[in-house]
Amino acid sequence: MTRRIWQFPWGYIESALFATGIAAAGFALQLTVGYFDFYLLHFPANLVALALLLVLIALAVRFENTPFVRWLSGIPCAVALIAALLVLALYMTLTPQLAHPPAPAAAAGLIARLGFARVTASWPFVLLYAATLLALGVTVARRVYDTSRHPSHHTPRHDFAFLCNHLGLWILLAAAGCGAADMQRAVMYVREGETEWRVFDRDGTALPLPLAIELKDFTLEEYPPKLALIDRQTNTPQPEAAPAFLQIDPARPRGRLGDWEISIDEYLHEAVRIDGEFRASPMPASTPAARVTAKNLVNGKTRRGWICGGGNVLGFYAALTLDERHFLAMTEPEPKRYASDIVAFTPSGERIAARLEVNKPLTIGGWTIYQYSYDTAAGKMSSYSGFELVRDPWLLPAQIGMGIMALGALSLIGRGAGTQRAGTRQ
Amino acid sequence: MTWDAFPFFALPAALCWLIAGLLACRARPVHRLAIELPMLAGLVLFAAFIAAFWHTLARPPLRTMGETRLWYAFFLAAAGHLTWLRWRDGWLLLLTAVMATAFAAVDMLDPESHSIALMPALQSFFFVPHVVIYILAYALFGIAAFAALAQLWRQRTQPADTHLFAFMDEAAHIGFGFLVLGLLLGAVWAREAWGHYWAWDPKETLAFVTGAAYLIYIHLRAQGRTDKLVAWTLPVAFLLLLLGWLGTSLFPGAQGSLHLYS
Ligand code: HEM
Repeated sequence: MTRRIWQFPWGYIESALFATGIAAAGFALQLTVGYFDFYLLHFPANLVALALLLVLIALAVRFENTPFVRWLSGIPCAVALIAALLVLALYMTLTPQLAHPPAPAAAAGLIARLGFARVTASWPFVLLYAATLLALGVTVARRVYDTSRHPSHHTPRHDFAFLCNHLGLWILLAAAGCGAADMQRAVMYVREGETEWRVFDRDGTALPLPLAIELKDFTLEEYPPKLALIDRQTNTPQPEAAPAFLQIDPARPRGRLGDWEISIDEYLHEAVRIDGEFRASPMPASTPAARVTAKNLVNGKTRRGWICGGGNVLGFYAALTLDERHFLAMTEPEPKRYASDIVAFTPSGERIAARLEVNKPLTIGGWTIYQYSYDTAAGKMSSYSGFELVRDPWLLPAQIGMGIMALGALSLIGRGAGTQRAGTRQ
Repeated sequence: MTWDAFPFFALPAALCWLIAGLLACRARPVHRLAIELPMLAGLVLFAAFIAAFWHTLARPPLRTMGETRLWYAFFLAAAGHLTWLRWRDGWLLLLTAVMATAFAAVDMLDPESHSIALMPALQSFFFVPHVVIYILAYALFGIAAFAALAQLWRQRTQPADTHLFAFMDEAAHIGFGFLVLGLLLGAVWAREAWGHYWAWDPKETLAFVTGAAYLIYIHLRAQGRTDKLVAWTLPVAFLLLLLGWLGTSLFPGAQGSLHLYS
């Protein structure tokens, strides 16, 4: 018996056409109304959308024996939707994406107008995301409903793995979608010794922020820098194709660069240059310096001297000329850690003193404050510190979804292909 | 211990692995200890280098490409060994040995400069588990891809080998579990370091692409399909994975990625 297209039960061809159709509808919308404005979904609109989705899922469970619902909660539909999202994501990796959807006037050219300048804010992507949320939701709801009526259909361990993977992902996708509309982020720059309370979003509008931040002190620690052979003509580190660097490492005072054997005779992490001599000193302008001996392994010639990157003081700079072609120089030290000692003030008059570091943010009143930047040209002498402030009211549900998914992942690891359904249905 | 010492560990280790792999492929079976002992010796030697290297750097050796290749070689050999213990597929042991050797060889032929610097964003509890779990998933997916190629080779003339499909499923499911775990750890970490758990950074987008490709395989197999198209998804997914891992910096869309460290 042959089945004609669009005759139930639907298979892969119908599923592929369905996903393509959703994308096509998305492109049509994109061409007519432009990029999807996540602001439209901001609270409470996202709650309404979520409620609508749940009603649709409930309706699907009510009519679960219709061929359409069976198909919607089946594997061909899931595979088609995942594949469609995969294609869009693959495109995103192939062309640079704008950080924000372009303004309608600026979206010149068909590619940009079709939504490809920022795929994740384009209608095809949003519609496919929503369709996946619906299909995944119906899949989970039907499985729960089925198990509640016929506990013997699946073993509990099997149900557990299935539920963790799919329900966890559903919660995460739903929370991430809602969060995309409600998330607020802003950057604030505070000068040392001053207090700041104004922040602006990317359009330059002031955000109502229930916080003020005083920057007490900004500190920066650096790693010992590296040495490099530099070509005197081109001023580039050698060898040209793959520059080699010699890490200054107290545990390994000797190394090789090209034909030269280098030994570090003395290393000062915080040095200043006084009358041409380098001395250890914790002054703010201090910078790493090293006294080295370089020995040419081919002709035995030896060179000795101080090398210093200079830091913020031009007069500190010192390089060692080796021969007609090369000199030895020090790279800029890389930051090891940087931190801001701050006091945050809340409207209720609370004062919270904290030290902000990369990977160590501070959360107060729904806002999380991150160490974001500093004056990289000034390095440790930076007179200001940049903070990023983020508020995502949907973070908790997203984290719950991730936690459930982690359980699902663990059962995949523990049971391998045992998570797969034995035998086939469909 | 620095890269200078690497060949003294990697060469004997690779030799052990290759011997074990060749012995496992012999038509006349040898005593299993003749295979397992060299395998283990190679693993111990390799692990010793990683541990000593870590100690010298005073930071986890997971920052640079060369350092991640180191772990990949180790996990490939380890996963190959475990697979052999459970499934006794000699050719797979040899294959993982050859691949692990190839990755170690790249590090021997093109050693990186010694560097102790670890940028502040990477100084986190999540750094080691996030990267190690990913590399483990990559190793399993590599094995799954080669098993799938063997399956495809067979399917040119014969029906699918269900034993081999069962093995591909095992590797793909466990690999996917690790992939999700690595992704979740990365999401928690990103939230702590950058303020968002997912931002469609190019590396994240490629991780999504990879994950989606493996999901397609898992769901096609959940339907019980054994056709060639299904077998093809594994090598294709692995290709996407390799692009995301080794080639992120090559992608036009990846310029300015927060994930590019060295
Ligand atoms: C973390 C992501 C996911 C994992 C690990 C996963 C894993 C699995 C596994 C192992 C099965 C077979 C197990 C069983 O039937 O009990 C399965 C079935 C299924 N999955 Fe997924 N999946 C994921 C995401 C999705 C998504 C995004 C969709 C839909 C858009 C989906 C739709 C389905 C469907 C419809 C089935 C068949 C269920 C049935 O017929 O009972 N899955 N999944």
